[in-house]
Amino acid sequence: MKRSLSFELLRYALILAAVAITLIPIVWMATMAFKPIPEWTASGADLTWWPRQPTLDNFRFIFGQETSELIVALDKTAVRPVISSLLSSIFGTLIAMVCGTAAAYGLSRFNVGGNLPLALVQLRLFPPMAVMIPIMIMWSFLGLVDSWWGLALVYGIVTLPFAFWLMKTFFDEMPREIEEAALVEGCSRFRVFMRITLPVMRAPLASSALFVFILNWSDYLIGLLLTTKEWVTVPVYMASLSSSMTGQLYGAKAALGLIAAVPPVVMGIAIQKYLVRGLTFGALKQ
Amino acid sequence: MSAMTAATTTRPDNPPKPATLAEEGRRLGLRMTLPTQILILFIAVFPLLMQIYISLTDWSPLDGVSWVQAYDSWNGFANFVDLIQDTRLWAALKRTFLVMIVCVPAQFFLALGLAVLFIDNFIGKRLFYSILLTPMMVVPSVAGYMFFMLFQSGGPINGLISGLTGFDVSIAWLSDPNLALIAVMIADVWQWTPLMFLILLAGLIGVPEDQLRAATLLGASWWQRFVTIMLPRIKIVIVIALAIRVVEIFKIFDTLYVMTGGGPGVATETISVYIYKITTQDLTWAYVAAIALFILITLSIVANMGLRRIARRS
Repeated sequence: MKRSLSFELLRYALILAAVAITLIPIVWMATMAFKPIPEWTASGADLTWWPRQPTLDNFRFIFGQETSELIVALDKTAVRPVISSLLSSIFGTLIAMVCGTAAAYGLSRFNVGGNLPLALVQLRLFPPMAVMIPIMIMWSFLGLVDSWWGLALVYGIVTLPFAFWLMKTFFDEMPREIEEAALVEGCSRFRVFMRITLPVMRAPLASSALFVFILNWSDYLIGLLLTTKEWVTVPVYMASLSSSMTGQLYGAKAALGLIAAVPPVVMGIAIQKYLVRGLTFGALKQ
Repeated sequence: MSAMTAATTTRPDNPPKPATLAEEGRRLGLRMTLPTQILILFIAVFPLLMQIYISLTDWSPLDGVSWVQAYDSWNGFANFVDLIQDTRLWAALKRTFLVMIVCVPAQFFLALGLAVLFIDNFIGKRLFYSILLTPMMVVPSVAGYMFFMLFQSGGPINGLISGLTGFDVSIAWLSDPNLALIAVMIADVWQWTPLMFLILLAGLIGVPEDQLRAATLLGASWWQRFVTIMLPRIKIVIVIALAIRVVEIFKIFDTLYVMTGGGPGVATETISVYIYKITTQDLTWAYVAAIALFILITLSIVANMGLRRIARRS
């Protein structure tokens, strides 16, 4: 459709304004991570958008290569939290994907499982805070508090609805002819699933897994409740980077925030076209 | 059911196989859903029963007895009576709804406006689209920290205002009770308008081109086409987008808690923050279980009413 010049100008003006607003917080944190302490203070004595003397000190600081009294006060570097976040997110994703994919296939092909889909939507509806008390009790009974596998288990269950719904829409769309050909050849149903369906669905599987990983990696509340010391995750550790002794460690927190923010943003851009389906439970199949 | 019809229609010349195949499929299907059923039992059904049990007692992890023996401090429905009189709970609920009724419409109209700009092609569309979607992929607690920095009294927001107005502004956004809630809302709008944008744009692109062209030929203005063709066509999309945001804002925690910790005082204490605080500070877990149950029941009623209405419409 042909548009007038003034419309085009207005469009670019509005979009650029939106882009600027979108980028301000991100740019501030990204540059903050490279600023030395004197370039930013809470009083705002020296407010600079671009680091005048860029430094990697903040990164060195949180990973403990810089000897400092502050890191002693913090008692731990960010290495453990990064490992904790990675382990719990990856294994949580594995649990969600294995169970979710199997259930989605069962439901999509054989129509079994009753009201499982609805139960999974309901599971997603409730505030996590409102269901955590019994989980905390169970976890302390089972000795799963403050362990990455305890976190992974909760993550797996919390993100299971997403894995299930994404994979179900993908299975629903997959042509059955491919599978039927193999069935005629005399393959068992399970062999068909393992040898034909899963390889064909490689791309959707990868996208769903990335999606679920982003959700697990983003968690703050569950990590806050279920870890105390040894296995705190990156967001929990980041939030704890301020104390009466050290004050707000702006630069260090920004460096850690940048490390936490980059993987999901990159993955998110990679699976952009699946985001709608993922977040709407396939209610919109665009 | 569908597997059976497929099997019988595609291979009529091979009579014994379809029945076994369908039966095999059914069994495999049941086995494949089993892990999920077990997990749901483990994480939803059993904990729910446990929650009901504990909510009827006065148990706390400090008691030194296991939760199984919580019946020692059985107190019937006292927790639920307390909850009705808990002014802090109702204030937190009210605050959550306030955030909801401000943020959801704000996100909706901003997103709709942006989506309209993105319907047809223009140079740089893909790049701008990717940039605009970025906020929703940023870890919420990290987004909370971003806005925590931005809203410091000496921070960049005040810096920008100073630059634009010429006055030396240093507003303490996060320590003023009224402004703190506004700052929290701004952060939520920043992070979640992209999701609305994504959903609405997906809906708008799905509107058939020929209908719009026909309307143009009939002399309909752009606005008329938008109101009479586009909006009605994406009604269900709009309902879904709004529903998702309403549900998610009800759960708001990460961003807000990192920004303000629920403060100053209780100025930004939403329902999740309130529950978190009494869970970790007061440790009155029986009471928390009662509040959680109350919320779960209320939400299920509301959600089921809403779901049924959407199901009837579509």
